[in-house]
Order: sequence, then C-alpha cells, then structure tokens
Amino acid sequence: MTPIGLAAVLVGLVWVGYGSVWLLRNRSYRVTQAHHFLADLIGFPVEWAQNVWGRNGVPYAFLFPNLLLFGLFTFLPLLLNFYVSFTSGNSISLFSRPWVGTDNYQQLFDCDTVFEPRSCHASGFNFWTGMFNTFKFVLVAVPVLCIASLVTALVVNLTVRGRGFWRALFFYPVMLSPVVIANIWQWVLHRKGVLNATLGDAHGVVNSFAGIAGIDILASVMVGILLLITAERTWRGGGVKFTTDDSAEAEPSLPWASLFAGLVVLVTWWASPLAALGIGPVDASGAATGQLFGFDIGLCLALALGLLLLWQIADRRSLARPLVAICFALSMIALVLIQFDAVFDLGRFRPVNWLVTPKTGWPFFWLVFVYTWHHMGFYMLILLAGLQAIPRDLYEAAEMDAATPFRTFSRITFPLLMPTFTVVLVLSLIKAFQVFDEVYTLTGGGPGRETFMVVQYIFETAFTTSRNYGMAAAGSVIMAVFIAVFTLGQLWLTRRNSGI
Amino acid sequence: MSATIPSADPSVDQQRKKGGLIAFLTRTRGNPETGSRVGMNDLLAWAYLGFGLLVILGPVIWTVLSSIKPETALETFDTRALPYAHIVEEVPGIGEKLLYEWTNDDGVTREVVKVGPTRKLTDVVATDDVETVLQAPRLDLVPRDEVRVATENYLDPLLQRGGASQFNIGRLLGNSVFVTVVATLITLLTNSMAAFALSKYTFRGRTTFMLLIIATLLIPPTIILVSLFFVVWIFGLSGTLWGVIIPAAATPTGVFLLRQYMLTIPDELLEAARMDAASEWKIYWRIVLPLSLPALAVLAILSVIWRWNDFLWPLIVLISDPSVHTIQIGLTAFSGENDTAYNYVLAMTVVSLIPITLVFGFLQKYITTGIATTGMK
Amino acid sequence: MNTVTRDLANEDDALVLDGVLKSYGDVDVIHGIDLAIQEGEFIVFVGPSGCGKSTLLRMIAGLENLSGGEIRIDGRRVNDVPASERDLAMVFQSYALYPHMSVAKNLSFGLENLRVDKDEIKERVNSASRLLQIEALMSRRPGQLSGGQRQRVAIGRAIVRQPRIFLFDEPLSNLDAELRVQMRGEISALHHRLGNTMIYVTHDQTEAMTMADRIVVLSGGRIEQFGAPLELYNRPANRFVAGFIGSPRMNFLEGRLEAVNTLAVAGIPSVHLARPVATLPARPDVALGIRPEDVLIADELEAGDPVSVGTQVPATANGVEQLGSESYLYCSLPDGQTLTVHHAGQTRVRRGDTVQLVFATAAAHVFDSTGELVVPG
Ligand SMILES: Nc1ncnc2c1ncn2[C@@H]1O[C@H](COP(=O)(O)OP(=O)(O)O)[C@@H](O)[C@H]1O
Ligand SMILES: [Mg+2]
Repeated sequence: MTPIGLAAVLVGLVWVGYGSVWLLRNRSYRVTQAHHFLADLIGFPVEWAQNVWGRNGVPYAFLFPNLLLFGLFTFLPLLLNFYVSFTSGNSISLFSRPWVGTDNYQQLFDCDTVFEPRSCHASGFNFWTGMFNTFKFVLVAVPVLCIASLVTALVVNLTVRGRGFWRALFFYPVMLSPVVIANIWQWVLHRKGVLNATLGDAHGVVNSFAGIAGIDILASVMVGILLLITAERTWRGGGVKFTTDDSAEAEPSLPWASLFAGLVVLVTWWASPLAALGIGPVDASGAATGQLFGFDIGLCLALALGLLLLWQIADRRSLARPLVAICFALSMIALVLIQFDAVFDLGRFRPVNWLVTPKTGWPFFWLVFVYTWHHMGFYMLILLAGLQAIPRDLYEAAEMDAATPFRTFSRITFPLLMPTFTVVLVLSLIKAFQVFDEVYTLTGGGPGRETFMVVQYIFETAFTTSRNYGMAAAGSVIMAVFIAVFTLGQLWLTRRNSGI
Repeated sequence: MSATIPSADPSVDQQRKKGGLIAFLTRTRGNPETGSRVGMNDLLAWAYLGFGLLVILGPVIWTVLSSIKPETALETFDTRALPYAHIVEEVPGIGEKLLYEWTNDDGVTREVVKVGPTRKLTDVVATDDVETVLQAPRLDLVPRDEVRVATENYLDPLLQRGGASQFNIGRLLGNSVFVTVVATLITLLTNSMAAFALSKYTFRGRTTFMLLIIATLLIPPTIILVSLFFVVWIFGLSGTLWGVIIPAAATPTGVFLLRQYMLTIPDELLEAARMDAASEWKIYWRIVLPLSLPALAVLAILSVIWRWNDFLWPLIVLISDPSVHTIQIGLTAFSGENDTAYNYVLAMTVVSLIPITLVFGFLQKYITTGIATTGMK
Repeated sequence: MNTVTRDLANEDDALVLDGVLKSYGDVDVIHGIDLAIQEGEFIVFVGPSGCGKSTLLRMIAGLENLSGGEIRIDGRRVNDVPASERDLAMVFQSYALYPHMSVAKNLSFGLENLRVDKDEIKERVNSASRLLQIEALMSRRPGQLSGGQRQRVAIGRAIVRQPRIFLFDEPLSNLDAELRVQMRGEISALHHRLGNTMIYVTHDQTEAMTMADRIVVLSGGRIEQFGAPLELYNRPANRFVAGFIGSPRMNFLEGRLEAVNTLAVAGIPSVHLARPVATLPARPDVALGIRPEDVLIADELEAGDPVSVGTQVPATANGVEQLGSESYLYCSLPDGQTLTVHHAGQTRVRRGDTVQLVFATAAAHVFDSTGELVVPG
C-alpha cells in the first residue's frame, strides 16, 4: 500500500471513529433509529462543519468530495500531463523519470514534412498517421453523423403515433458498449456473414432476370409507367392548398418529385447516354466509356439535374414545371437506350471481406457507419428536444403565410434549431476526435494502419509495448491543442448562432 | 383463424370491410384536425423509419438468433434464422452418425449416413437398410436438420466447462456489477452533495466552483489518459477495481442534472425544515434527496450505462490482472483469440447486452427525457 | 435612534427589534427598524409587496442574517442564534409542507429533530390535529390535500412546536376569497385560545385591520406607522398610511392653502377646513385627504349627517356602483381630479349626473407636499 492509500484509510477510520463518538455524544439515538445514525455518520463531516463554522461553512463541506475528485483526477492529471511530456523512460514513478525537455516533441516533429507521415521517424510516423486518420475520420463522420441525426430527428418529430417508440429505437445503440457493438457488426460483416449472404442472394435474383426472354421490353414498359405516374403526380402536385381560391394552381409536390428525380437519375445512369453517343474518353478498346476520373459523367449530370429539379420545386421556383417536363422527356429518351439485359447482368458475386481487405476503403466506410450507428441516437435526442422547443404557433403562422414545407424548414425550423445544432456539432466533433473504442474493437486500427487513430497511438505507446509515457503524453498535448483549435474554430464559424 | 362476427346483412359486411380497408390505408396522419390523408411525405417518413428499424434492430436480433445456434451451424455460417442443428442418430451396428437425405436418380428419397470418407461419390448406407452400401454424389447429400436451441453456448462459460473453461464469465460479471454498483452509489452521493451546495446556498466562490465544474466538461478524458494513470498509480489504485471506480465518480453531467432539478425545489421547504430544527445534512438527506428522486434515477441509469460499457479506462487500469477484468475486457480478450469460438463470443455478447437492454426497455422514457433535458454526456 | 427604542422597550417585551438593517450587496432593503412587541400581541406587518415584510420576518425567524442592529427575544440577543433555537414557528406563504411525508410525519418531523420524547410527540400531534380538525388527513400526503387543508396542516406544524412566537408570512394569499375570510377568523380564534405572541405578514390591509392588535405599516423598508388598527385609520401619520389603510382608499385632493383654514382646489369653490392650519408658510401646496364615507351627497343628506361648514362642490358621476346596502360613486371634479364617494344605503344618482358633494371636513386630513400630516382629522 502506498503512503497515500494509507492516509486514505486513516481518514476513513477517523471519520467513522470520531464521527460515531461525536454523534453519540451530541445526539441521542434509539435503537430503532439506527438508520438515522448511519445517515448522520455519512454526513458527519457536514454536521461537524456546521457545528464549527455555522451555516456558512456547510456549502464548502458539501462541495468538498466532488471537488476533491475533480481536482485529483481531472485537474491534477491535466497539469501532470505537461510534466510527463517533458520526461522520458518507462518508469511509472515520477521521480525516476529523467527530464528531457522538448525531446519528445522534437521526435514527434522529426519529419521532412508532417503532411507526409512516411517522412517521419518511428514515433512520428505512427503519431501523424493516427492524426491524419483522425482528421479524415472527423471530417467524414461528423457531417454524416450530424446530417443523419438531423434527418432522423425531423422524421421522428413528424410521426404522430409511436414517437416514443422510434425515439427509443434510434437511441438504443447509444446504450450498447463498443465491444458488444463490435462483436455484433463483426458477425454481420464477416466474409461469410449475413450481409454478404443477403447481397449474394439479391445479386442472384437480379442476375436471373437477365436470362428471361422479353425482360427488356417488360422492364422498359414498367419503368416507363412508373416514370409517367411520378411525373404526373409531381406536376399535378399533391400538396395542401393554402388558399381557398380554387383557381389557384396546386404547387408541384416535393415528395413525389423526389421519387421522380430518383427514377430519372437511375434511368440516366443505366442508359449512360454519353457512352451511347460516343462522347468522352475512350477505353483501351476504343469504345467510349462515358467515364472521367472513374466517375460516370452521365450519372453526375443526371444527379445535378435531379437536385436542380428538387431545389426548384422545394423553393417554388418558376422553372419547376418546365424542368419536370424536360426531365420526363430526357428520361423517356434514355429509357429507349437502355439494354435491361445488361443492367440486370451483374456478373458473379464475390463476397467482400468488409473489415479486412486493405485499400478498398471499406474498413473506413464501415467504421464511419458503425460509429454513426452507435452515436446518432444521442445527437438525435438533443435535436429532437430542440425541435420540440420550437413554439407550435410559429408553424401555424407560417401556414397562414402559405409557406412551403421547404421554406418553413429553411426559414423557421433550421434557424431556430441552430443553437442546438451548434451544440451537437461541437459535442460530436470533440467526441469524434477521441474515437477509439469502436476502432480498436472493430478493426484494431487495421488493415495496415488504415484506421489507426491518434488515441490508439497514445494508448499503445503508453500502455502496451514500449510504455513510453513521455511520448504518449506529448502526443496528447498536441492532440489537445488540435481539439481546442478545431472547437474554437467551429464555435467562431457558428458564433452568431451558437447558444453557448 | 379467428372468426369475425358476421352481421345479418352480408352487404353491410361487405361495405364495412371495404370502408375499413380504405380507411385503414388512407388513415389520417399528421395533423388529425386538418385531416389530410396519407401523402408521399408520410410514406417517405415511414420508409425511413422502416429502414432505421432494419438497420438498428436487424444486427442485434441477428446476433441474438445466432447466439443460440449450435457451433456447427455457426462454423458453416448457416444464414437461416432458426437454430438448425444437424441431426446425429444412433444407427445400429455403425454408431452415432450425422443424418443426410439423399434423393437418388429414381426420385426416391432416403435417409442415409456416411460410412466412408467424403468423396465425389461417397459411400453411404440407408438407415433402414444398413447392409447395402450405396454410392451417392457428395453434392446430393442434404443434411437432415432439426431446430435445437444451443443452450450450451450460454451454459458452458457460466459453468466453466467445455471449450470455455478459461473464460470465467461469473467473475467478469461480478467485477462489472461491483464496479457499476459502487461507482453509481459514489457518483450519486458526491454529485448530489455538490449539486445541493450549488443550487441551495449562496456563498463566496460559488461562481468559481460552477466554472470549475464546467471546465471539467470541456476537458476530453482521452487527453489526460496517460497522466491519470500516473495519479491512479500514485494512489495505489492501478490494477484494482477502485482505480476504475473512483476517478470517474465525479461527473459534471451529474452535478448539472441534479442542480437543475434541485433549483425547482422551493427554498421555503428548506427554511421550514430549518425552523423544524433540522441540521443542514438532515435537510439534504431527509428533504432534498427524497424530493430529487426523479433526477437521481436518471443519473443512476446514466451512471449504470457508463460504467457497464466503460472500456478504454478499465483496459488501461485492469489489463495486467485477469482476476479483475470486467465483462467488456473479457469479451475483447475472448474474441481476440486466434480461432474465435463464435458460439461463446456471441452468447457472451448477448449476456452483456441483456442488462442494458432490460434497463433501457423499462426506463427508456426516463433515460431519453433525462438526456434530452441535460443535453450532455 | 436606538436610545429611543431602548426607552420604549420594556423588560417584559416579547420581541424587540433595535435598529435592524438588511442589505443585499449594495441594495439596502431594510433601513433600520425599531419595534417592541408585547407578550401575547397579534402584530400584523402590512405594506405593499416588495417593501421588505418577508425579509423582516425572516430575520426575526433567523432565516436571514442581519446587516446591522439587534433582535431580542425575551431580552436575549438572538442575532447569532440559529433559527431552530429561537423557539419560534413559522407558517410559510406556500405552506412548505414536505411533499414526500405524510401529514403526521410533517407535524412530527420538527419534534423528532428536537428529540422530543416519543409519547410527547404523539400527544402534541394528536391535540393539534384535533384542534385543527385534520385528524382524518393524518396519513395523507400534502399533494392529496386541498388548499385549505394544507393551510391547516401548515398551521398545525407550527402549533405542535409550542413556540414562544408564531410567525405567518402571507399564509392566506393562496386561498380563494371565501376560504380566506374563514381562515382569517380561525387564526384569530387560535390566537385567543393559545394566547401566544403572533406576527403576521400580509399585503392586504383588510386582513391587517380585522386581525391585528397592532399594525406595523411598512414601506420601502421603513416603518411608516405602528399602532392599533383604528388609530391608523383615524389618525394616519402620513399620506402613505392614510392611503394604504382603508378600502376604498382615501381621496386626495391636490390644492393650495389659501387662508389659514381655507383650501383652494382649482375649479371648485374653496373648502373650509374645520381646524385652522397655522404652522405652514403662506399658500403652500397641500393635499386634502378625505375618506369616501366623509364625502356626502347634498341631495341625499339625512338628519344627523355631519355637515361641513364648506360649500357644495359640483362633480360628475362617472360610475355608480349599487350594492344595495351601500353605494359607491366615482366622480370627477371640474379640474379633473377624481373622487370616490361612499354612500350608506341606495342612491338616486345615475351615471353622468352632476351631483353636489359636501365634505365632512371635520374628518379630513391635510398633508403637505412631502406627505407629512399637517392637520389631523
Ligand atoms: N435574496 C435577495 N437578494 C436581493 N434582493 C432581495 C432578496 N430577497 C429579497 N430582496 C429584495 O428585498 C425587497 C423586499 O423583499 P420582501 O421582503 O420579499 O418583500 P415583501 O414585502 O413583498 O415580502 C424586495 O425589493 C426584493 O427585491
Ligand atoms: Mg413576501
């Protein structure tokens, strides 16, 4: 037992011993009041403080235990961290750690350029790899997380029946431990796991279409009908009329438009019109691929068109109806070009080893996915509370002012939600920077160092092989600086809207 | 199956059915007052929610279903939902054998067992005629399955038998329960004391203390990992469960949550108690704590979840001594082994899932509102 | 100032306030209160809200520290004696019943803290519940009681303590009008029965007038007047007290002293005062204070009515309230000043009529421009 541990035991003995004596001398307890005696014994220091200093001393006595814990286990380590980062060796005893000045920091920065971790020395390489992976993770995961939780909050807020259930459902993963989550997802994502099996089955079903005679015509007709219906619905508009004037035309319907736009994009992608027209770069065999830098240009154009359409309709621009017509015409032309046999012929399915195969991007993708899966519910809950705090009559007023749902969202919901959203952004940013549990349990930082995060660097440097506490402490100091800069930067960017 | 009560007039029935169906399909959503019918908005929302249901519950349910599958089914990655086990039957004169079904060229299906090594053409005998050795193409042999819940996945680790003897689930659970319960009690006590002081007294330095506690909210725990280990070591707590319990016992979230709640307790109540000759500790213990029970419950639940799921810090403090490992560490250590025994890993995952799921199932309303009101973690 | 009160204060006074001061930070709330309360008196602190009544009461109770001065109970200085040892009991505005304890527990909590004997506690609780007729409620929680019942329990909690002095802080303000009248009577009756000293805080002058032995009128943290109810009514020390005591409130006519006993108000004939005002400089601005019942309607004068020496004053009746047994006229004088007239019995005056009013100036007060009384009524 260390001297401090001994001291703690002594304090406890004095507490119980002297406390009992003091209480029994100052108060009388009947045997049936033993529980009162115990309660008073727990609070003996407070009772004593009140006796000695009067009521003015009491709040300090109440605060003391909590502040002691904060002081010893939060503020003291914070200061100690700096000291440790200037020492070296693998001794845990503070006094036997040689002072090395900024040596640790120099080693971490011993690179040609930190932007190329390969040019660093050993510890620097790991550290900066972790740092850049963490940046990458933060830059991808935070927006994904925020948007996903915003959308979920909006949808859950929209539902009338069973809102409690949906809220609970999306929140459920927050309660699970990272190890459990990793086990679950590793099981699902295993090379022979249920995801690959399902994909394989779906693949097989689609493939089997390709062989059916007449599928081309049938599929063309079906898609054509779908396009017609959605285009018509979009054009006619299903939205609520805001005027009692019957002659006023209904606005094009946004939900239908989103379906329609989705179909248009799909059809254009299948048709790959540019390749069909022979435009664009050619592949080795001289045929036009319609691709540039690995992106399908036709698809990109179609996506742009679809988004334009959605925006026009959502914001009730004048181009909305003409665009519907144009899109419909274009997609009809594209439909004729499509060889559905080719669309359905996906070739042989090869199961992917999602978490293991290097240089595919899949491990990183699944990391972001699982991280979002794990944490989204928490931020959704905060946003949901923010949404529900927006006064209902504002929406009624907006309805009286004939605002479209989109405008209501962009002019009322979002601005009023902004303070909450800023809180969510900041919290999720700080948290994403510290990502460790999910990574360590899901991929262990691999494959290679593809998902190796900076916290894992700190953990492994300090607590596994080398026990190089100084280097790890230096790493945490640098990381703290980055977190502070990121957070402040973000607060500054959103300063007008932030509630903090 | 269930008989609906027929009405006297069949046409009324017809009408009711039709009206009922249409009414059901286009039932009022959104605002019941304005009575708009189901629109695309609602369909998209429901599609989203359905997708959420699948993505969130799907993997969990799949894990639970998989955890009761026999080891062989897991090794072959049987993707059927139910736990099918390959039937083993005692065949007279041959012994215990795996049962197969074979449909030969004549279209006759027979129950067979293998009697030779598995080759392209495998030697089999029918169970009703063990004397005749038949040659069946390997690919035509369909295993005979039965649905069997593999309780051994759970019982082996619990009872320390079979392939799970080195995996002491009882001790892991015991450690986790100890950490969770003790840490939660300490958290409740210290946090509520601090919250009481900050909400019900005016004293010199109150704002400073408030700011100090806010500051601890802003210090990410991972950046003090290394030096916190030094502090814990200095106190002689490393390698003990107390090293996990004590450093995290004071939570700023808890202080804020409780303070917020205690602010709503009228001061007059405390003054009445003072007139009633109650000491300040008694006021806290007998008046304020009982009245803060809802907030204490929320904090207790949160604390249970945090402690139960805690991973990185226990890993650092406890890794050196297997006898103090918590369930989370045990799970990683177990699943990290080379030839992963999926049946035990999945079963233990489910075991660790159950308390949290139960707590959540019963108390989700408290939890979600509690978190939503504090907005912190 | 202190010496004055020392002289006033007797040895057998139950409670003495001596130059009591209170400030919150830079803000002075109580500006030096001197007061001596005799044994067994029912004292009411009355004043507009925010004038410091509660603060004063809470300082007496020991819930608030003094910034200056001294409080003595039975001649003993109690400034540093904690609330629980001053032998007082308090009934709070919100009752401050412990919501998580039964009524019986609410009553006994204080006695238990004082370590009163168990049988004694039972005895006192029983007699208090009998006295207040709350025996049937003893096992209920405060949340299950009506406002009036809670009020009784709160009083009961004070009674069981058998205190030297009872303190009430606006105890009736949460009750509806009818119940308030009833409880008013009951508290008075209680005072008669127990004979304890009671200090009662209210902003309602009716309560003060009906219950008090002596009233302390407070304003802005100062005592405006201290005396028996009718003394305050008939001989208010200043314009504030005159306006505060009595309902409807006293009329004030702004004017100027023309001659020694003649008051000129713009637009109306000079009003002759019953007694001369000699001490003021020439033609000062003054206010004539006259209670509504001292303004008479010339047309409806009856034999025996006190008639002023003064002339008739024309006025327009802007509003007439007929209550059957009495009537109120809201009039305006030609120069725009308004005037309330109380007429015993019913009146023939209609809204819009011009009436001739007669001032019973024998009962009129004159206040100078600082509000000090210069001619007592
Ligand atoms: N804790 C406090 N801090 C600062 N000012 C206070 C405090 N309590 C009361 N006051 C001020 O003291 C004055 C008197 O308050 P109080 O005694 O409650 O009035 P009342 O006569 O209505 O009971 C008020 O102006 C109030 O604003
Ligand atoms: Mg008050």
